[in-house]
Amino acid sequence: METRTDYIIQVKDLVKTYNHGAVVALNHCSLDVKKGQVIAIIGPSGSGKSTMLRSLNLLEEPTSGEIYFNDVELTSKKIDLNLHRQKMGMVFQHFNLFPHKTVLENITLAPVTLKIQTEEEAKGVALQLLDRVGLLDKADEYPNMLSGGQKQRIAIVRALAMEPEVMLFDEPTSALDPEMVGEVLDVMKELAQEGMTMIVVTHEMGFAREVADEIIFMADGEIVERGMAEDIFAHPKMQRTKNFIDKVL
Amino acid sequence: MFWEWWQSLFVDMTASSFFNFSFLPKYGEAVIQGVVYTLILSVVSVLMAVLPAFLLATMRLSKNNIIRSISGAYIAVFRSTPLLVQLMLIYYGVFSWIPVPNFLILGFIDASRFIPGVVALSLNSSAYVAEIFRAGILAVDHGQMEAARSLGLSQGQAMKLVILPQAIKNVLPALANEMITMIKESSVCMVLGMSEIMFTAQTIAGSTMISIGPYMIAAFIYFLITYPTSKVIENVERRMRRGDKN
Repeated sequence: METRTDYIIQVKDLVKTYNHGAVVALNHCSLDVKKGQVIAIIGPSGSGKSTMLRSLNLLEEPTSGEIYFNDVELTSKKIDLNLHRQKMGMVFQHFNLFPHKTVLENITLAPVTLKIQTEEEAKGVALQLLDRVGLLDKADEYPNMLSGGQKQRIAIVRALAMEPEVMLFDEPTSALDPEMVGEVLDVMKELAQEGMTMIVVTHEMGFAREVADEIIFMADGEIVERGMAEDIFAHPKMQRTKNFIDKVL
Repeated sequence: MFWEWWQSLFVDMTASSFFNFSFLPKYGEAVIQGVVYTLILSVVSVLMAVLPAFLLATMRLSKNNIIRSISGAYIAVFRSTPLLVQLMLIYYGVFSWIPVPNFLILGFIDASRFIPGVVALSLNSSAYVAEIFRAGILAVDHGQMEAARSLGLSQGQAMKLVILPQAIKNVLPALANEMITMIKESSVCMVLGMSEIMFTAQTIAGSTMISIGPYMIAAFIYFLITYPTSKVIENVERRMRRGDKN
């Protein structure tokens, strides 16, 4: 039973606990994201931001609650999760490029293995995307020859090569040297302008303010406040949000 | 007083008895066959251990409690009892029920002893190799599996294309060391009359009455095989680590 909604992602009453309930990482969180929206999740460390993001493609298995992607319930046991994950790109804090594969192989591995593209097509797509992020000349290098900023741009390309409908970013610039943050954020900005649906866990307040349509502020495993970037930064409604914004700005 | 005691230790022994290799011209061929026997025995045993070890390692990493503890029990039993005991139980126990063909491999390896010996050694080795594999798989950063799964690859595809190629690289030096261990450990097979290096040395000692020389030769041979090999592995390992730094 599928009822069409405008939402690309819906999270209903998500709970995640560890150690048989001793640690509550997410406490009844609900969230919806429309196609084309860019959402930034901010909050102090340990607030459950990453857990929330990683739950969206079920890298974290929720303790309870439901997650819908294009109105398909991912938390149901009846669906083929791998099929839906193909359409949800993910970028990690530590890049997680495959060190035993060249840049090109990193990008083409999934599309070719999953028979979404032929080897020729995948190579074409990969080179085109690499060109876009200015790393065409690195196609045959191995990841350990690249800088952090280059690795992260390639990780973004690897996710994009699957032609995802939504991109999940898990603190994509937190492991980068300061001078490399810009080059990664630029790629993300460009993506946002092209209308990609994006959910970004970030500590880059400038980026959140400039690029995100909406900001979600999380603390202690709860979504405290959600609103337009300007409202959250300039006139937060909740005291906890205000305290955090005061500290980081 | 000390010197008297010290000299008494060597009453029936001259220094030359350690280096009495006069048996070599006559028994040279037997010694070489012993070396070949040991090498074949240990190499075949470790290679035969690879597949069951991989299975055991996968079971050990399974989410299912029962599967995990079956593998755990196997590894515990085979690592916590002496190889010699396992060899006896398998040769006199298990293989008293299983008929083994009686023929010669390469003209001097008696299959009816060789096969039970290989089975015992590889059952034992698979417990050790399983732990090597398990450590190798666990040493691959968790983020690798997550990245692969986030792209839509199945658990199996991610294992085969992303995790195992990296794990195998981690594991090769340890596997080569296991081979070296096996070359030495396989000497217990002498008790079953398998004519590997130690059995050959014992036979020569018995028939020539030269009691130390043959064992000295055995020691030399083991050392000449294992020491250079371990140095080569160390070297390869060091070079691999240098290539690895991210």
